[in-house]
Amino acid sequence: MAGALRSRGCIKIRGPQLRDLLDSKCNILFDCDGVIWEGEKAIPGAIDVVSLLKNQGKNVFFVTNNCTRPRDSYVQKFTRLGFTDVQKRDIFSSAYCSAVYLRDFANLKGKVYVIGGDGVYKELREAGVSFVESEPETPGMTISDCPLHTDVKAVLVAYDEDFNFLKLAKACCYLRDSECLFIASDPDPWHPVRGGRVTPGSGSLTAALETATNRKAIVIGKPSRFMFECITSQCGADAAQSLMVGDRLETDILFGTNCGLSTVLTLTGVSKIEEAQANLESDCPEKQNAVPDYVVDSIGDFLLALKA
Amino acid sequence: MAVSKCSRLSGPLIQELLDSVDNFLFDCDGVIWRGDQAIPGASEVTNLLKKNGKRVFFVTNNSTKTREMYAEKMAKLGFQAKTEEVFGTAYCSAVYLKNIAKLDGKVYLIGGNALSKELQKVGIQTVGSGPDPVSGGQSDWADVPLDPEVKAVVVGFDEHFSYMKLSKALKYLDNPDCLFVGTNTDTRLPLEGGRVVPGTGCLVRAVETAAQRKAQIIGKPSHFMFDCVVSEYGIDPARTVMVGDRLDTDILLGSSCGLKTVLTLTGVSHLIEATAHQESHCPERTGMVPDYYVETIADLLPALQG
Repeated sequence: MAGALRSRGCIKIRGPQLRDLLDSKCNILFDCDGVIWEGEKAIPGAIDVVSLLKNQGKNVFFVTNNCTRPRDSYVQKFTRLGFTDVQKRDIFSSAYCSAVYLRDFANLKGKVYVIGGDGVYKELREAGVSFVESEPETPGMTISDCPLHTDVKAVLVAYDEDFNFLKLAKACCYLRDSECLFIASDPDPWHPVRGGRVTPGSGSLTAALETATNRKAIVIGKPSRFMFECITSQCGADAAQSLMVGDRLETDILFGTNCGLSTVLTLTGVSKIEEAQANLESDCPEKQNAVPDYVVDSIGDFLLALKA
Repeated sequence: MAVSKCSRLSGPLIQELLDSVDNFLFDCDGVIWRGDQAIPGASEVTNLLKKNGKRVFFVTNNSTKTREMYAEKMAKLGFQAKTEEVFGTAYCSAVYLKNIAKLDGKVYLIGGNALSKELQKVGIQTVGSGPDPVSGGQSDWADVPLDPEVKAVVVGFDEHFSYMKLSKALKYLDNPDCLFVGTNTDTRLPLEGGRVVPGTGCLVRAVETAAQRKAQIIGKPSHFMFDCVVSEYGIDPARTVMVGDRLDTDILLGSSCGLKTVLTLTGVSHLIEATAHQESHCPERTGMVPDYYVETIADLLPALQG
């Protein structure tokens, strides 16, 4: 799997071939942004594809690095965009999985200091994980005189529009204790936003903190395997029977390879076919692992295959 | 040149070193002062070196002061130093952008007052530095138009660093013709009381990661600061010694520029780290082994006073 030399990949797939692939898998994992929706619009065909797969008895999961919403908010978004029958338990977001990690896997004996937004705080609260409440900052306060909590045993870094120097400094102080866990929701360095622009991702904030502390974060989101382990522990999914559909080579496809899943790259999001082909021809093992088995133009191609 | 490395600089070895060099480069934080307090004996050392005919320069990665501000601090703490003898990264970044990059345009600056002043002194206007208050969320300020005259992004120490500034820098750097400069890569600064201040290196890394681009780094161990000293004073590397407290910046700069190097133990690096580099025999690490070390630069006093 990891490190194995690829002899093939990037196969354009549609119609009967795609139907056979889908028939052979019980579990279909979809990334969200750039795969099933773009901002507030469903990608054409996505709603019907999800519906048809569920009707066929497949387990459909949504695995997203986007940590800005709690799962309840994702359920509302699915409904708002016209998807039917998507439940909270189908959704594995990096905010939710970070909370699961801290509650079930990390044996946390104290509070979490959070660099992140509402989505993260809500998931932590729902999971019953103790955290330092988000405090408004006193103007003029610096790292020399700001109060630090003595019971912080983990730092969680996620996308945070309120990120600033003082938060970075506080997190740095907490992480001086080698027993304080260092968790990152996801490694994405940037995200595309409306109008063809980009915005800094959790990965850039994590990089600042890794540099300051000379420590590496435990990454929850893709391409780390943890979110698949969450799915397996909650729903018993088997890798050989699972398919990952995503738009970003270095997260979705690498995640799929790391977990032993078959992978499909859809071209409605971040990565281009040329990048996938460059990875196929690369000598670098990490790039070779970010080569999709198959490529489709859009999730709409699934619809044609399923209806045929 | 020292036959063996990492030797304790004491006794006759000090006079030997003094006889073999004409120029001294001193780092500042952890070498001649700590915060606002001079290291005991440090000012006597640098003043006596000058009196004995040596040329003394100060080379610091700290971007929070202009040359004038450094000269003022030095005077206050008893160091006899001229403005032109101090090379900080704020000044050297301005030199780089003006003379090497030949920047014709404005700078989007993540940094403080000193950087802003040094850039303005060479005729380069800056935008964005200081608190830059944020209101609303990303969707509100994401649409604020870019300044078309900005042709470079400079990242220095900035206690007002924010997601919004990071986001603006990313937008400018989306244009491959926009220059990207970082003052230095120091990862953190020690504070009294066990607290730690993240260094400029963290802010540079955040911008590099988001933009998926590497910054041009001005500060040690990059050669540029030494090149600045050479271009203004024409010093001979073989007759120059670098005195610093950090193996990965000061000593590495000294080694790679062909200078003699002295590690002082009043700052960041420990002797055990130097010997670990030495024992590793690893090619990438030999540059971080100093020729000599002292407990404090005040160890040079007896030889200078005698």
